[in-house]
Amino acid sequence: MKAVDFDYEQPRSVAETCRLLGETGREARLLAGGQTLAPLLAMRLARPAVVIDINRIEEFQGIDAEAESVVIRACTRQSRALADPIVQSRLPLLAKALSFVGHVQTRNRGTIGGSLANADPSAEIGLAALALDAEIEARSATASRRIPIGDFFISPMVTALAPDECLTVVRFPLPQGAVGTGFREASIRRSDFALAAVAVQLVLERGVCRSLAVSLGGAGATPVKLTAIEHKLLDTRLGDAELAEAGRLAHDAIDAVSDIHASAAHRRRIAGALTMRAIAEARDEALAGRA
Amino acid sequence: MTADAPTGFRYIGRRRRPKEDRRFVVGAGRYAADVMLPGMLHVALVISPHPAARITRIDATAALKLPGVRAVVAGDELAQATEPVFTGLDLPKMKRYPLAPGVVRYVGEWVAVVVAKTRALAEDAAELVEVEYEPLPHVIDPEAAMAPNAPPVHADHGSNVFYRRRFVWGAVDADFGAAPHTIAYRARWHRSATVPIETFGVLARWNPATQLLDVWASIQMPKFPDNLARALRLPGSAVRVHFDVDVGGSYGVKRGLKHSIVVGYLTRKLGAPVRLIEDRLDNMRGGDAHGPDRIFDVEMAFGDGGLVRAMKMRAIDDVGAYAGRAPLQLGKPVGAIVGPYRIRSVAYEPISVSTNKTPEEAVRGFGQSPTNFAIETGMDLIARKLGVDRVELRRRNLIRKDEFPYTIPSGSTYDSGDYHAVLDKVLVAADWNALMRRRDAARAAGRLAGVGLSCCLEPSGGNAAFEPLLNPKNETTTWMEGCHVKIDLTGAVVAAMGTSSSGQGHETLVSTVVGEMLERDPETIRVVHADSLGALPSNSPVGSRMAIMLGGAAAGAARKVKSQLIAIGAHNLDAAPEACVYADGAVALATDPARRLSWTQLVEIAHRKFHLLPPGMEPGLQATHVWEVPTGGALPTADGRVQMYPCYAFEAHVVYAEVDRVTGQTALRAYFVGHDCGVMINPDIVHGMTYGGIAHGIGAALYERFHYDGNGQLLGGSFMDYLIPSSHEVPDITIVDHCTPSPLTTFGQKGSGEAGYLGAPAAIASAVNDALAPLGLHIASLPMTVAALGDLLATKDRAK
Repeated sequence: MKAVDFDYEQPRSVAETCRLLGETGREARLLAGGQTLAPLLAMRLARPAVVIDINRIEEFQGIDAEAESVVIRACTRQSRALADPIVQSRLPLLAKALSFVGHVQTRNRGTIGGSLANADPSAEIGLAALALDAEIEARSATASRRIPIGDFFISPMVTALAPDECLTVVRFPLPQGAVGTGFREASIRRSDFALAAVAVQLVLERGVCRSLAVSLGGAGATPVKLTAIEHKLLDTRLGDAELAEAGRLAHDAIDAVSDIHASAAHRRRIAGALTMRAIAEARDEALAGRA
Repeated sequence: MTADAPTGFRYIGRRRRPKEDRRFVVGAGRYAADVMLPGMLHVALVISPHPAARITRIDATAALKLPGVRAVVAGDELAQATEPVFTGLDLPKMKRYPLAPGVVRYVGEWVAVVVAKTRALAEDAAELVEVEYEPLPHVIDPEAAMAPNAPPVHADHGSNVFYRRRFVWGAVDADFGAAPHTIAYRARWHRSATVPIETFGVLARWNPATQLLDVWASIQMPKFPDNLARALRLPGSAVRVHFDVDVGGSYGVKRGLKHSIVVGYLTRKLGAPVRLIEDRLDNMRGGDAHGPDRIFDVEMAFGDGGLVRAMKMRAIDDVGAYAGRAPLQLGKPVGAIVGPYRIRSVAYEPISVSTNKTPEEAVRGFGQSPTNFAIETGMDLIARKLGVDRVELRRRNLIRKDEFPYTIPSGSTYDSGDYHAVLDKVLVAADWNALMRRRDAARAAGRLAGVGLSCCLEPSGGNAAFEPLLNPKNETTTWMEGCHVKIDLTGAVVAAMGTSSSGQGHETLVSTVVGEMLERDPETIRVVHADSLGALPSNSPVGSRMAIMLGGAAAGAARKVKSQLIAIGAHNLDAAPEACVYADGAVALATDPARRLSWTQLVEIAHRKFHLLPPGMEPGLQATHVWEVPTGGALPTADGRVQMYPCYAFEAHVVYAEVDRVTGQTALRAYFVGHDCGVMINPDIVHGMTYGGIAHGIGAALYERFHYDGNGQLLGGSFMDYLIPSSHEVPDITIVDHCTPSPLTTFGQKGSGEAGYLGAPAAIASAVNDALAPLGLHIASLPMTVAALGDLLATKDRAK
């Protein structure tokens, strides 16, 4: 478990990072928290020609509250985001999801953008971002663009980012009204990779669901938005029958895989049950709050 | 925690900080990988991707061209220069070499080694070694491997069955015929192990001038220096194993004989020190350190009240591709084949089967924990069948206090115990009735909740009689341990032991025992690990034996030194030794304590004043004692009856668990264990062993498994997929001590190194099955993973 030889770069700015990424002819990997990349390097499953360490770039750090959104810069540590009062108060779903990400020790290194760009199908941050309709900002040496989160995840460990692009910022729009959130995850041990995880954000108006987002991860190739559930449950009071219907839809919707930790059928069952539990959690939270 | 502290001891049984703690806590341990020698070379491995294949070509040209690469060695070269690796069974046609010569038999088997200036370079070069294979048929399932037409793992051996014998002790058929009830069941224990934080590592240096091979290894293996010397065709006096390196965890698996043969050969070939430090992937797939992999088919015959009269047990053990000492793990359970119960006749049929998997190695308990799980599964099934309370059923079957010493059908005599008292104590501590109410309340709320129970034994301090039992060509009847104690000219006490330690606290053990005997503060007593050339006979810390055997040896050596001190004192007091008393290191006249010689005076006389020594006494103060296993020394009888272990510790576990009906996740919410290992030398060490053993047992019960697919690929080959319990999964554990001294040992101590692990899997299975009982479900296969329980629970969903 010794990495193949690679060059190491330590840029001091986002611009310099993008310039290094744009250098053609060699495969580059960005090193943020390194919680995935470092073991992949050690096991020789990743063999980049150059590793670009972005840990010392100030522009990549921080969380900003804007009028209608919260902006988290790519290299912000997960533990910092979890402890951040803006995240706690305005992005409760992300806060819930972050508490499931690894352990304290890995969250102290792991970053928000690193998790998104790594695109592990069981990752919680991407799952929450999907339910929250987040937007990714990507920059290359020559251009920058915004990518809706729905277009971002392509397949396991593959995103819409081009080889010369780096993720700079993720922007979370803020919901309005009587918001409730739910996050449920099943894993073998605490903080293992999710067998299935569900993120829910909804808005109630006098007990009636006026907005609903349900995303599901861990069971398929990428996290998915369960729009069928959203359509089905909108304008209902999210009673037992609706929850059961949501569970069935989730169970049937996902394209789960079998491995030694759970069969595909079991993953679907878990997904269905967690969907019901997460929607109920969000509903109860909204009812207990301002609805 | 309640403790029956033994009385009459000054240091034994007292809570004192283990001697080893300081160096480990401050990060000053010294492991094999910490030993650095100038010019040291590093080894990387070329491994087989096939479960079975003939090697048709190996081309190392490109690898050897890389700067810094010193050598590439493959199987034929090494097999020419060395003897086969030690085999525990009588298998003359099964040859095992560190590097496969010609044929590979499992994925991960070593094909060649690359030696370079750094490990990274060696790994680069290993990728460039071209190996061509011609795949051969393989077999992964042990029962399929037993079929006559199965692909042979070792064609020369003629069968995949390495060992098979049916032992019958007592009137099994008559007892089955007379019993009103029988049950038959299968219990499955899948392949898991101990996975120590430190993988195996070894460094060797050959000195051509002195013709001496120095070895620093992360080893816990009986007779390792002798085995290594034989394999390398060297006299034992040419191999010096340094036992003063710390071993970062083992519980059985640190048996890197093949690794050590490789570096021993390479350092002689290359004239430079060579080391091989496994990484985690090396360790899991090709470290040959997987544990027992068992299929038990059991029948029990019992009366209306649930008293079990007879048992038939067939145990298939899948040992993987080669047989080292590991297959002998089918033999150890013979010494406690009826567990703590009064079962009067037994048929036991151990079957050792080879498959194209990573070879098995010894794991904590040497086969006892799977066997305990198989027996306890039956106890719960009988209780369920008869409608008898599980606790009551065990009470009826447990051997009673007044029956000791108690001889079981397989010929072993249990030394002492009070099983009913320990069981009662843990039931009180756990508040069994309250646990049942908690369970029932959870069930009423719609949850799956269960309370589990297990009772079992820890045989300890054995004489390795499973060797002659399973291999008639082996006549081992002693498994001694030695210790040397000396008092130097400054009056300091130094004790030497002859093996390395892997966390058991032997330095605390020896210093406590010697301090007790000599009435000196153990803090002041230095304990050293002599190297193999300076050391006394030792059989390493296996079989839960060191408190008994090293403790007995240290006490014996200290007693001899004490006799010498008394003789010197008596001579100088013009008295008979019997007229003198020894107290706090001084010798005085019994009738006139003012007439005395102090420790300093006695030491001075022994080391400097020959004229004051009793006639004929050797100068200096030192003694050696080699202790033979109590009750040991005899070969098995023709029908396989044998006294294997002298001492039997008892444990009773109670656990409360809940199973998530949908996800199949099991959460352990409360854990209690009653434990009687006789007199504890150091209670904190015993409790630490027990906590760790339970955590290990939780892994075996719920999480840990080396999965193989049908193509022989290891699917759980890293900590991504081989899941060990973390602090989140291990609940608070309450240990309830009880003390029934052993009549056979120096201080009444018994073994405790396997405590917790021997009963935890059975207890957790009991709890999970209690939780599943309302659904009419049952599982007797470990580990009870989320995958297994989830799919089992789903069968009930569909039925609804």
